[in-house]
Amino acid sequence: MNRRAIEQKVDNDVTSPSSPHVRRLVAGAAAGVVLSSCASDAPQDTWKPAGDYAQEIHDLQWPIFMIAGIVGLIVFGVVLYAVIKFRDRGQPIPDQGHGNAFVEYVFIAIPALLLAGIAVPTVATVISLNDTDDADCVVNVTGQQWWWEFDYPVDADGDICGFKPTGEAAPIVTSGQMVIPTDAKVVIRGTSRDVIHSFWVPKLNGKRDMVPGRVHTWNFHASQPGIYAGQCAEFCGLSHANMRMEIVALDAADFQAWIDNQLEPYQSPAAGTLAAAGEATFVSQCSRCHQVDGLTDADGDLVVSAPEQFVWSGAAPNLTNLMTRNTFAGGTWDLVTPDCRDDVWEATPSEFGAKYLAGVSDDCLNEIDLKDWLRNAPGKKPMYADPEKLDDTDGKTRGMPYLALSEDQINELVAYLLERK
Amino acid sequence: MFTTGSKLLIGSAGAAWVFALVYGIAQGGTLGSLGLVSAAVALSLLAGLNLFVRDSNVSPLEPEAFDASPAAQATARPSLWPLLVALGATTMTLGLVTSRTFFVVGLIALVAGTLEWLVAGWSERASGERGFNAAARDVMIHPLELPVAAAIAGAVVVYSFSRVMLGLPSKSATVIAFAVVAAALLGLGTIVGLRPELSKATITGALSVVVVALIAAGAFAGLKGERHIESHLTTGDLAAKDECTAEETEADHDASQTVASKSNVGAEIVFENDELVADVSGFGGDFDALTVVRSNPTNVLFHNESHHHARLVLDLHPALDGDGQPVGPERVCTALVDPGGTQLLTVVINRPSIAVDGGFAFVVPGSDAELKVVVP
Repeated sequence: MNRRAIEQKVDNDVTSPSSPHVRRLVAGAAAGVVLSSCASDAPQDTWKPAGDYAQEIHDLQWPIFMIAGIVGLIVFGVVLYAVIKFRDRGQPIPDQGHGNAFVEYVFIAIPALLLAGIAVPTVATVISLNDTDDADCVVNVTGQQWWWEFDYPVDADGDICGFKPTGEAAPIVTSGQMVIPTDAKVVIRGTSRDVIHSFWVPKLNGKRDMVPGRVHTWNFHASQPGIYAGQCAEFCGLSHANMRMEIVALDAADFQAWIDNQLEPYQSPAAGTLAAAGEATFVSQCSRCHQVDGLTDADGDLVVSAPEQFVWSGAAPNLTNLMTRNTFAGGTWDLVTPDCRDDVWEATPSEFGAKYLAGVSDDCLNEIDLKDWLRNAPGKKPMYADPEKLDDTDGKTRGMPYLALSEDQINELVAYLLERK
Repeated sequence: MFTTGSKLLIGSAGAAWVFALVYGIAQGGTLGSLGLVSAAVALSLLAGLNLFVRDSNVSPLEPEAFDASPAAQATARPSLWPLLVALGATTMTLGLVTSRTFFVVGLIALVAGTLEWLVAGWSERASGERGFNAAARDVMIHPLELPVAAAIAGAVVVYSFSRVMLGLPSKSATVIAFAVVAAALLGLGTIVGLRPELSKATITGALSVVVVALIAAGAFAGLKGERHIESHLTTGDLAAKDECTAEETEADHDASQTVASKSNVGAEIVFENDELVADVSGFGGDFDALTVVRSNPTNVLFHNESHHHARLVLDLHPALDGDGQPVGPERVCTALVDPGGTQLLTVVINRPSIAVDGGFAFVVPGSDAELKVVVP
């Protein structure tokens, strides 16, 4: 057997389409593609818009996807036809000509026209999505490693998000879940305290980067009450995958109730209860970083957190009304048990508000994850909190450190936090 | 069953897995373990592929094919790459006990020499034809060799040029030098374009002389050091000395680190008719209070729409440490802004409004203007 024959034999054995290895590879890849489209529980599905801005994107991407798909199928078909029809059967190489100038012009003109046709609605949509004037509701969104803070400023008329609080108006600070009114143009003013993050709630709008030192505005609109899941979409360090958020949309009456509840004055736990012991533990162990508005120490002085002295980003989640939200630790874990979570997530739009506003009850509290978190936060979520490795950050942690809390302290804190709603 | 190439790759993959395991357990370094596991995965993949294609080996039971096989053809030629490998290994070893620089240089030489040697050894056994083998070597290594060589050459030229520029005695000289170099490059390009008959050797020679001269000038300038760059007081110095008043100071003339304007700011603050108002993106209308996110660098643009010079000042009321000293700066301010002028001010407020009696407020010294700042 000569060298050419050996090479041909090797080629045929290894790379022929009829080779069982190649057939298995192709079949596996095809099965993977088909299976990937079968997910039914996909809360971050960009193809299921739930608001005006997401609908605009959807209305743009569907026709473009169809055009691209048809073009792709035509190109793939022609290539496949050429590969099979003109495959090497040992025939001589055909005459090599320059080609047909007219066909070349046509093949340049068709894509150019298609791209021009796509460009017009694309640019119009981009301009429309970026129009952040005339907002009904404005929320400041601040990203940091690895959670989102939402604060609701009081506008010039004394309103919050276009709603007048029943009591005295004051800014509301929360995290993990951004609560908005339905059928309203909500503009976020986003920035970051440390590195670049990206705010993305696919069912309500596209992505917007949050850059330190800059304020980027972006629109949201939700047509129906419900919870809409999101995820930081810009790699931001060790726990980027654990930096999640949700937008909770409530109808007008429920949103008014939510605002009024957030501005309720602080209530100390009843004396002698486990929660009262938890309040003292909170002051001694947690209040250095976490703010609870209205909390006072044993001397009656207002407790003001100082996260800027301990945390690299200079902030830690405000826990004033922790149990009015459903998640904690950057939206990574549920504060409620799976059954209670499903009860809220799967509620009809008319029932949703009441179920969400009920907050976390004793029966629904996800004690296991919350206690795990209090036992050893860096062991549960990857963070830079090892005290021996903080030289680069002047001893400040990125994330919550290990606090060496006793089981008794943990039980007290859970009892105290359960009343924060 | 196992070919020579497969044995090498299987052995290497096995060793990489063992090293990854040992390193992961003994050292516990995440990055190192990831690197070793990546190498092990890559080598395992290569070993599998090589096993799959059987290393293109030929059975000795087929004499005709065996005689025609590359292994039976020309022997490897002498190579200088082993010399570089040995030099690299020695330098690396020396670097272990002297300096990290030697270690890194040695490692680079070792890796480069090994790669080149491996490819040379492989290509010289690719076939019985030396010409074909040389071409095979080029096809294999040029996609890596040429970009790396170009990047190194580019870096040397850019670094040398930067040393020359930093060594020039003044800003004017730098501008002139840039203009001269740009004109020279344009002239050279024009000559080459207009005189296509110029030989490749002539152009290469001329460019080589220029590059060598540039490297020599860069080395000379680098050894001589950078020119003295005069520094001026900043608005930070002004604030630290509590001189954020209506009076003009030295820092207001040639202030360093002051920026006139910037996009995507938190708010634009306008001083007009003895009043301060804020225009906040996302909201309509002007505000007499501004909400600033706590512990976050927030940029505001100060527009002086009055008829006299004005400065924007914010007292930060920092917390006090155990010795009663403030943690962080006590105030920030702009330089004195001309009528109609604009200047950026970055503020970081670490305490909420509830912690400060009277709260925070922007003021303009010499006027009664005040803009309340709310920190949630």
